[in-house]
Amino acid sequence: MVPVNEATTGDQVAEVNLPATANPNSPFAWPKERRILSTSVNRIDGPLKVAGRAKYSYDIKRPGLLFGRILRSPHPHARITSIDLAPALAMKGVKAAVTIAKPGGKVMYVGDEVAAVAAATEDQARDAARAIRVEYEVLPFLASVEQAMRPEAPTVFEGGNVKASQTEEEGSITAGFAAAAHVIEQTYSTQVQTHVSLETHGCTCEWDGDKLTAWVSTQAVHGTREGFATSLGIPQANVRVITEHMGGGFGSKFGPDVQGIACARLAKDAKAPVQLMLDRREEHLASGNRPSAHARIKAGVSADGMLTAFEAETWGTGGAGASSGFPLPYIYTFPNRRRVHKDVYINAGQQRAMRAPGHPQGCFITEMLMDELADRVKMDPIEFRIRNLPPQAPNAMWREYFKVGASKFGWDKRHATGDPTPGPVKRGMGCAANRWGGGGRGTQAQCEILPDGGVVVRCGTQDLGVGTRTLIAIIAAETLGLQVKDIKVELGDSNYPFSGGSGGSTTAPAVSPAIRVTVSKALQELATRVAPAIGVAADQITAGNGRVHAKGTPGKGLSWADACKRLQTTPVSVNAGWEPGLSASGSSGVQFAEVSVDIETGIAKVDRILCVQDCGLIVNQLATESQCIGGMVMGVGYALYEDRILDRNTATMVNPNMEWYLVPGMSDIPKIDIMLMNQPERGVIGIGEPPTISTAAAIANAVANAIGVRVRSIPLTPQKVLTALEGERAGGTQ
Amino acid sequence: MSEHTRSRPAGEDSPSTAHAEPSASGPNFSRRTFLRSVGVAPVVAAAIAPETADAQTAAVVGPDAAPLTLTINGQKRTVTVEPRTTLLDAMRQQLELTGAKRVCDRGSCGACTVMIDKRTAYACSVLAVDAESADIRTIEGLTQGTVLHPVQQAIFEKDGTMCGFCTPGFVMSAVALLDKIPNPTAAQAKKALDGNICRCGTYVRLLEGVLSVKGGARG
Repeated sequence: MVPVNEATTGDQVAEVNLPATANPNSPFAWPKERRILSTSVNRIDGPLKVAGRAKYSYDIKRPGLLFGRILRSPHPHARITSIDLAPALAMKGVKAAVTIAKPGGKVMYVGDEVAAVAAATEDQARDAARAIRVEYEVLPFLASVEQAMRPEAPTVFEGGNVKASQTEEEGSITAGFAAAAHVIEQTYSTQVQTHVSLETHGCTCEWDGDKLTAWVSTQAVHGTREGFATSLGIPQANVRVITEHMGGGFGSKFGPDVQGIACARLAKDAKAPVQLMLDRREEHLASGNRPSAHARIKAGVSADGMLTAFEAETWGTGGAGASSGFPLPYIYTFPNRRRVHKDVYINAGQQRAMRAPGHPQGCFITEMLMDELADRVKMDPIEFRIRNLPPQAPNAMWREYFKVGASKFGWDKRHATGDPTPGPVKRGMGCAANRWGGGGRGTQAQCEILPDGGVVVRCGTQDLGVGTRTLIAIIAAETLGLQVKDIKVELGDSNYPFSGGSGGSTTAPAVSPAIRVTVSKALQELATRVAPAIGVAADQITAGNGRVHAKGTPGKGLSWADACKRLQTTPVSVNAGWEPGLSASGSSGVQFAEVSVDIETGIAKVDRILCVQDCGLIVNQLATESQCIGGMVMGVGYALYEDRILDRNTATMVNPNMEWYLVPGMSDIPKIDIMLMNQPERGVIGIGEPPTISTAAAIANAVANAIGVRVRSIPLTPQKVLTALEGERAGGTQ
Repeated sequence: MSEHTRSRPAGEDSPSTAHAEPSASGPNFSRRTFLRSVGVAPVVAAAIAPETADAQTAAVVGPDAAPLTLTINGQKRTVTVEPRTTLLDAMRQQLELTGAKRVCDRGSCGACTVMIDKRTAYACSVLAVDAESADIRTIEGLTQGTVLHPVQQAIFEKDGTMCGFCTPGFVMSAVALLDKIPNPTAAQAKKALDGNICRCGTYVRLLEGVLSVKGGARG
């Protein structure tokens, strides 16, 4: 079932290299005087959402709707001997059953898909899935990285359980360590984190003859259309994918997925629409995760606080045959470095892109190391970082951000490592930096200006909850001199002009220019059609304050409504797309955290976080701040709570739910401050990934600063904190 | 709310003929009438708690689906459910009530929060049959036409919704809180909202929204 060694991260999150700044001479350049852009605008679908009226794929109801369920492997590794669907098909209410795995094929983890059924009720479908008879030949399996790396481990994966990547090398390690006054050797690790999108993966599929309509919880309506067509062997033209609203994805929802294809097949066989949404357990087991990361590092620093050498052996697991790469060292300049990474395969669900893939891992490991090195040379961590950062640039502003952030945060009140205050509760501060590419291209859009004054903007992107709908309305309104409420935005449908998947913070920089260009061209056509009435040439006409008028002479023109009336029976309808010069790639940011740690219980609590972050031209201040808050909240979970725990004897996840897989709740939320650095001259850059990258690293450094002992593994559970403190009391750690 | 059996006219199994029934534990019912009637009606007496069953018409419900009338937002609504069907699934799959979301399906995330007899409840953890005689209020009952409830309005204005999948649950919890404590402190509000999980991380905005709704300003 599992495509071993296939790249699963996908190109949806590939960083797009664009120039670091926008082109001020673009005919569609962003306005210097911004009326709506960069202000705080309430999201236009907010009322629907707070009213509970927004319809998600999970909420779609169709006449005669059936419910689908998937039968999954109970074994971490097995060969399927036989699959008998007959007992399920004989059950009450069952309308269709299909195999997903094939006899002779293998299942590679607990939760791997085997077969699926559709029935009149979900309860019937659940019963029927259980009734399918499957015979397995159980095979040896690997439940942990440690098991997989043992020399005597059984070879579970073709080509070996461990796959070494190419060595990354620069400069001379030998010379680097020779120049070091201090050398540190340490091991760091991060856990497997799951996405926990509240709306689980799944869809509703309905056939009309040979045409398929699928309401899918997806980050890519067009990519999912292509996926359905390819997997089902039907023309793309026969597939329509709709995602009106979507309950989070965080990188895990591209394409129809196994359950989407199964759902479409069931609907075809049953000749009725089928809804197949995963449950929470399936979601944890089989819909992706952030791989673990481990790093054994030797690093050198000179007496004056300059990094000299970095040597690392790293490994991690992305599950059954999937990669686990991450950038290391992260951001800071080690002139001499060497790194070897190994992907370790275990019998667990495969990784998928998760919010800033690789970066939180690389950031945590590097930033921990940076604090340890700073302590060795007895230097303030920020001063030490600033010394070792790459040169400042529009997409590399850490020096400035560390300075303004430190001032705002009160970094000067930070004590040296180990809170000297008496009592069990120790407080500390930490910091960390982040970078992300963002950028994006290729989006198409359509703009209609209607004779009654209405404006419709259509784009085949999707709104994951980040505010893409509102972003489109803001840009259209700004361009046409109208208000946000005057714009009708239609998205989330593969029948609309093409836009790529929403991943890697590429949506805003891909969509914003397309909207700006398309709407500007629509305005040009409107200007051409009303130019005789206004009495100036079309290229001398502009729009503003609800009027279409001669440039520089607002009095010489028509109200928006009157201008549109002159279109008579033929609306303006323009299709256009992304052009270079309006967006850029490369963002930078830093975060600061203050924590309290109870050294008697080991419980760490985050008191406050400050994020200093840029993302180019800010389109919507309010939604951008919310994205930053959300990223940091997810980072709090990564730092302190979240962990996919596999039983080491059975490779079964012991916490595939939401009471033992701990996502932060209201009482876990620190005070959060945000300093958004607007860079309008750079054009639009995405903000989805960056704010989650540094949070765990800043928190972990703050915990070390509080308790005087370093916990080099996240999540920072009470047990790990207490164990580290105990080791310190015994004189065992540094 | 703890019995999984209930009274039902014999042979009635079609939702189109179902109707709300008088309470089987009404004032005219006694242990004596129950015992007397057992002799004439072929029912499985042992499965029926005497104080809740009307023996003349009682039948064990299930395992097959049977009609059931629920009172939701003041309206009688009929569903056909198995005894194991949750209130959440009955509302979402059989009525057009999809505001409450199924997220964890085991009472740990709050996305399905509704009010049952004026108390918040996780609809995923209540069996539909157990909610038969209850006053059920859902997110759909809060909005009057297009006019949002003040709690909804405040959460919208403070940007306390992103993907929105947790939002209805938070709104219901917040409404319940403000009914009880009109002007809560931040600590009280946090505690009241700890039973709800948001993955987008809207907590800061949600809290701002809830605290911005002052007692006098609520509808």
